[in-house]
Amino acid sequence: MTTATVSRWDRFRESFFWYSFKRDKVAIASFAVLLLMVLAAIFAPLLAPTDPYDLAQINIMNSELPPVGMSGSDPAFPLGTDAQGRDLLSTILYGTRVSLMIGFGAVILQAFLGILFGLLAGYLGGKVDAILMRIADVQLSFSTLMVAIIVGAVFKASFGNLMFGEIAIYMLIFIIGVAEWPQIARTVRASVLAEKKKEYVDAAKVMGFGTRRIMFRHILPNTLSPIFVIATVQIANAIISEAALSFLGLGMPETQPSLGSLIKSGFDYIQSGSWWITLIPGLVLVVLVLVINLLGDWLRDVMNPRLYKG
Amino acid sequence: MALLEVKDLDVRFAVRGGDLTALRGISFSLDKGERLGLVGESGAGKSVAAFSILNLIAKPGYIAGGQILFEGKDLAAMSERELRKIRGNRIAMIFQDPMMTLNPVLTIGTQMVEAILAHRNISKKEARAIALDRLQKVQIPSPEKRLDQYPHELSGGMRQRVIIAIALLLDPEIIIADEPTTALDVTIQAEIMDLLLNLCEQENVALMLITHDLGVVSQVTQRMLVMYSGRIIEQGPTREIINDAQHPYTQGLINALPQMGEPGARLFQIPGSMPSLKNVPTGCPFHPRCNFATEQCKQAMPEYVRSGNVDVACYEVANLIEQEKRMQEAES
Amino acid sequence: MTSPLVSIRGLEKRFDLSGSLLEQITFEGGRFRRKQEAVHAINGVDLEVQKGEALCVVGESGCGKSTVARTVMGLISPSAGEIHYDGQRIDNLDGKAALPYRRKMQMIFQNPYASLNPRMTIQQTLEEPIRFHHPDWSQTQVRDKIHEVMHSVGIDPDWGSRFGHEFSGGQRQRIAIARALAVDPEFIVADEPISALDVSIQAQVLNLLMDAQESRGLTYLFITHDLAVVEHFGTRVAVMYLGRVCELADTRNLFAAPRHPYTQALLSAIPKLEDDRPNHIRLKGEVPTPVNLPSGCVFHGRCPYANERCRQEVPQLIATDGGTQVACHAVEEGRL
Repeated sequence: MTTATVSRWDRFRESFFWYSFKRDKVAIASFAVLLLMVLAAIFAPLLAPTDPYDLAQINIMNSELPPVGMSGSDPAFPLGTDAQGRDLLSTILYGTRVSLMIGFGAVILQAFLGILFGLLAGYLGGKVDAILMRIADVQLSFSTLMVAIIVGAVFKASFGNLMFGEIAIYMLIFIIGVAEWPQIARTVRASVLAEKKKEYVDAAKVMGFGTRRIMFRHILPNTLSPIFVIATVQIANAIISEAALSFLGLGMPETQPSLGSLIKSGFDYIQSGSWWITLIPGLVLVVLVLVINLLGDWLRDVMNPRLYKG
Repeated sequence: MALLEVKDLDVRFAVRGGDLTALRGISFSLDKGERLGLVGESGAGKSVAAFSILNLIAKPGYIAGGQILFEGKDLAAMSERELRKIRGNRIAMIFQDPMMTLNPVLTIGTQMVEAILAHRNISKKEARAIALDRLQKVQIPSPEKRLDQYPHELSGGMRQRVIIAIALLLDPEIIIADEPTTALDVTIQAEIMDLLLNLCEQENVALMLITHDLGVVSQVTQRMLVMYSGRIIEQGPTREIINDAQHPYTQGLINALPQMGEPGARLFQIPGSMPSLKNVPTGCPFHPRCNFATEQCKQAMPEYVRSGNVDVACYEVANLIEQEKRMQEAES
Repeated sequence: MTSPLVSIRGLEKRFDLSGSLLEQITFEGGRFRRKQEAVHAINGVDLEVQKGEALCVVGESGCGKSTVARTVMGLISPSAGEIHYDGQRIDNLDGKAALPYRRKMQMIFQNPYASLNPRMTIQQTLEEPIRFHHPDWSQTQVRDKIHEVMHSVGIDPDWGSRFGHEFSGGQRQRIAIARALAVDPEFIVADEPISALDVSIQAQVLNLLMDAQESRGLTYLFITHDLAVVEHFGTRVAVMYLGRVCELADTRNLFAAPRHPYTQALLSAIPKLEDDRPNHIRLKGEVPTPVNLPSGCVFHGRCPYANERCRQEVPQLIATDGGTQVACHAVEEGRL
């Protein structure tokens, strides 16, 4: 038997996770594309040739220039420009950034709420469980989009477009995050119920550990595997939800657009022949959501408990 | 000709990094009506041996070599269609957990009739009559009621009786029982083993009993074979092996039983544990844990030598037999 | 007689199966009825564990022995009765007050594959209880203690950074024992600690438990269904059936001369190496469920010696000559 201590890195390299990743070309490709997009979004201020929201840099004379490769294009604007003369490449970089921020932000919020409530409901049981699950049931019966539309519309009507635009990003993260916690909570609760029966929990109780310690230190780490899969897919869902809201005019404003609002603002110009203003951001959105979903699929297969048993 | 003859059976598992050998050179025979015990601890390969007879090893396991001759025909080479005619019909199997074997959403009667009709071209009524007869044979109280009950309505012991009844439905030649009573309480176990023994005697059905419980083997079987790390290390009449085990592992197994120890004193223990399939030692697989291991033991798996009516695979035993022979020759 | 270390008095435990109010209401015989069912796991158990002894509780599934173990350890609260430790009542203590007893009373569980947290290394598993009960200890003291206790159970301390699933069943059970010993307990409840292990590993772990008892002066409450282990390991034995103790005796006496009909049947059912055929006392009927307890003596339905009194009256544990205590009318009346 080996007696050398095994480092974390060694353990990872030998794990089924890494082995499976190396063999799955789709997973590698998706991860590469996603990584590229995330890095591009993070470093948008450095990578973008212009700052599209600095009014001093925009020249209306540059409006509606087509992307490079078509007649009338300008190499300074490789993907063309929109109706105001903003460089499309720059707007897409910033837009991806906003979309990703909302995607990750919403998921972090829903994961936090979902895990917390799932743990409490599963471990404490009784009335706490009943109340929390009934709230979850009620919430699940409302579609996120509907709630977001209502809240967004009411807010816009009450406080005006300007106010709405300033806090739109936080509102969207909040709404999508709060609307989607039940799914994670239910999954966590199911895991907690299963783990609660295992003897290591009894051993912890016998040792005198308190409820909080047992819940967070002992049970929580064992309930997280399914959450990774759900969270990955939920990022894509959040991005799409926000895109839909933006398309309806209730999402990110023009001053701080996401990919969705870029699509919306470009939509009117399809008629005039400037299809690239709406289509290119649209393609980027599709690719982004696609790779996230593909990674989520692969993750779900890898984490299948049948395969992943220790 | 023996009813079942296994010759040099090799079973492997194809996993990433190469094949793991679960069974190596397994050879034994079973006569009509004979009761044979397969003894060993978990990981020894006894369940694998039982499952491979009916070619029921799930992927990535596969039969890599050898023959399984049932009435002269090689089961290892048979097509799936032909094997299905034999499974449940000529050779039946009983598993450890009755709850897993019985379909929880079908009544007992439905399951039994279905099993009969899969192999016999008779009417449902006739099939039901056969089912009822077998339930009576296993001494279940109120057998007619049971036919319309669901598995969860019966206790563990009763379910196991039903399983035995199902095994007997088509009058098989052989019943393979894989740890049939391990999950049961000791009083129920005694009843079930008693039942199984009586039925096999009455119906002249051969029994292959897989278990780790030496007491059960002693009570029920006529011959036994001891498995370790995919090999048979000792084989012969049960009474002879229990009373005077030759192989150090078998001796260790018997001596480690609490009933063999002095009350209050430390129990005899075999140091270490059975190697996993990935770490099988070269030569005799038991040598790292054996008090009598020599260099020879690390080189190659010992051949079988005969001591009395028992076949043992051990160099030490072979040496002892040699010595005895020389002493006897010297005296004469 | 010295006062016992652990005292179980009049213990009863019922698990409610009724469900919510809506689930209880059924429509039977033309009327609405309210159905309330419970599993009567423990139905009046009195036991004392003397300091330094190994009291074994044996019985088959459904007899309540595991429930007794968990109630003693405070994982389950009794429906009636009391648990005393060293003269102090402990079953009604809350978290803080129970803390000192948590250190003195430890438990070893049956399933080695579920009793270690899969997400914690062995080091973490052993460290946490030590730090919890000795918050003032230094890093070195904790580390030394971990090493000492790992050595004493035969696990190489270098393997501390490994996870539970990297060990075999027998090794995991050793680690679980190490965890229990790490806080220097006085009393250990072992709930079928070797049932899930291979036969040759059982001997190893049993020896380990015996060594630990000798070197640390431990007292054991040992739950098992394996009578061979009891004969080897126990000082006294309590035989349970359907939530009651039917016989309580010194180990030697129990095996030499079992008095209760159930004990006799149980002992005869053990497959012995000397037997050529199964050779046991056949009991009639099936084990009744703990949901609908039989009236009177819980064993009367299967007992060959049951009379009318057995059907009506619950027998109490009575001392017989020889020191054995038996709960049986037939024994009391001299019929057996």
